[in-house]
Amino acid sequence: MAATKGESSALAQLAQAALALPILALPVKAGAAEVGEIGFTLLGYKERGLMKITEPVLWGRAQFLESWEVQASAAIDIISGASPRLVTNASGKPVQTLTGASVEDRRNTSDVKLTKHFGDFSLAGSMAYSDEQDYNSKAFGIEGRLDVNQRNTTLIAGFGSSKDHVGSTDDPTLDKPRDTKEYLVGVTQVLSPTALVSSTIAWARGEGYYNDPYKLTFTFFPTGGPLLVPDVRPDHRNTVAWLTRFRNHVPSLKGTLQADYRYYSDDWGIRAHTLEVIDERWSIRPALRYYTQGAADFYSPTVTRPPATVHSSDQRLSAFGGLSPSLRVILRVDDRLTVEGTLGYVQNAANFHLGGSGNEAFETLRAGYGLIGVTYAF
Amino acid sequence: MLHRLTFFAMAAENEVQLHSDDEVFAQRAANAAIAEVKRIEAKYSRYLEDSVVSRINAQAGGAPVKADDETLALLAFADACHRQSDRLFDATSGVLRRAWNFREPRVPSQAELDAILPLVGWDKVEISNAHVRLARPGMQLDFGGFGKEYAVDRAARVMADLGVSSAMVNLAGDLAILGSQPGEAPWRVGIKHPRRDDKLLATLPVTSGAIATSGDYERFIEVDGVRHCHVLDPRTGRAARGLQSVTVQAIACIVAGSATTIAMLKGREAGLAWLDEMGVAYLVVTEDGTVIDRF
Repeated sequence: MAATKGESSALAQLAQAALALPILALPVKAGAAEVGEIGFTLLGYKERGLMKITEPVLWGRAQFLESWEVQASAAIDIISGASPRLVTNASGKPVQTLTGASVEDRRNTSDVKLTKHFGDFSLAGSMAYSDEQDYNSKAFGIEGRLDVNQRNTTLIAGFGSSKDHVGSTDDPTLDKPRDTKEYLVGVTQVLSPTALVSSTIAWARGEGYYNDPYKLTFTFFPTGGPLLVPDVRPDHRNTVAWLTRFRNHVPSLKGTLQADYRYYSDDWGIRAHTLEVIDERWSIRPALRYYTQGAADFYSPTVTRPPATVHSSDQRLSAFGGLSPSLRVILRVDDRLTVEGTLGYVQNAANFHLGGSGNEAFETLRAGYGLIGVTYAF
Repeated sequence: MLHRLTFFAMAAENEVQLHSDDEVFAQRAANAAIAEVKRIEAKYSRYLEDSVVSRINAQAGGAPVKADDETLALLAFADACHRQSDRLFDATSGVLRRAWNFREPRVPSQAELDAILPLVGWDKVEISNAHVRLARPGMQLDFGGFGKEYAVDRAARVMADLGVSSAMVNLAGDLAILGSQPGEAPWRVGIKHPRRDDKLLATLPVTSGAIATSGDYERFIEVDGVRHCHVLDPRTGRAARGLQSVTVQAIACIVAGSATTIAMLKGREAGLAWLDEMGVAYLVVTEDGTVIDRF
């Protein structure tokens, strides 16, 4: 917008006084509105002696027609290595056993989200698709956000539904459905000009096939013959996840500290807590995450006699804890191009479980991951 | 290739960015711009005993002090602001800081303000024959409302004189943009949200011009739920009310900056009407959090 008033206008008077100084008159010009960002990240994850995952992700975000926004991403997970399939006490105590077969799989995922802003209210619809050899998932969601209280408070409500199909490379006839519906409510509250807290609760109700068709438990008894049983889990899973995030900017430190706490509970008997602290003071951002979970009611590394109707020896359902430190480095090359990298380490172990050691049969998992990403704004 | 230098001056973190294929030239141009900012800080800081402003203040109620052309032109600019703002923009109102200490949450009493208000008044600044005199002992000149903005404009000018054609000078959020980035690309200027540190109010694409922001979040105290910010009304001695922040784009940072201060002082209704009448591009957040985008 240019000044069109006469010489007597306030702007003309101020400009005239300013240009008596030894300075330049810089023509007022705006560029085209920012339309979006496009980015590529490459994630690598490797468990010591087990799985390796490589995941290239392409994503983008764009605004159009002033009040619309679209976000989309596509990724391929390339999974290789070995996964423990059998838990057996053949050697005296139950241990995970690697079978000879190694896993080679690819998972293709993509999602798209469309948001329309109506002043202080916005409504978003999303769809996601994931496909691999023995599993596929289709999901959609809607989410509304409302800014109230002079934009100091944001209320969020959402609903999502996913339809999954579980198969098995060992059993081409296996094709079992699993349906999940998720409900979410949340609030973000500004506490002060430098601090804000947000809290979100999500409930999910799932029904269908939850068994891991590759997992087996092989148990020897002091008397009688051994038993080999497949993984049999309940045919429903209801979960509650409550995430609270606190961010505080400390001007004297020129930085932001973020702390997250997540509580998770399900009707399989798992209770889990995650605490993460991120220090965003510098362009090198250290973070530390702690996780602890209790075992599912039907977890056991050995089979009971007679076998229970539901049973799993999958150690991800056992009691354990984990620590994961990471370092993220962000480099702003110019005002359009940002490069970032993250290096992290994960150690999950029985003795990291909060309040007493976890399940003895849990075999310590050590994994490293790295991420590099490039973002270009256009 | 983009060169980016950050530096500390005027109690803040600042930056110069410029495009040049010649690294040595870029460094030289940025250094010249930074040196110019530091020259202006030294010349007009009220914290430095040796500065022009301190010498004029030391002689308040006494003998006239000789001023050079640059100082006289800045005072003439302050005078234009005073006239164009119905006397709200007043380069002598800084003395009110004797009553307002923004480090502790205490609102000065009427008696305290009444004791200081007689020392405020642009009409008590006598400028004649290249000399400046403050009429009453205890009066203070303060270039806080336009000194930093002038430094932005001077830094841009110094770089332009050296042949730089694509640069941004940013002194703590007040900035000048000298030419677009390569490929006619705009510089993307992030405007701070006055209440939320975690997000920007807007990202403005700008290829040329100056942008300044004034807000009630820079220095303030909160007492009984009321925010008192550092923008003080010379008539009452009390903090401006009605607007959380004002961002203006103009041909010079000194013009944009003074316009933001005047709008803050005028408050919501009068401030917005004045900005509309000015015909400048602006972005305002009112006291109730409403965002008015006229960019």
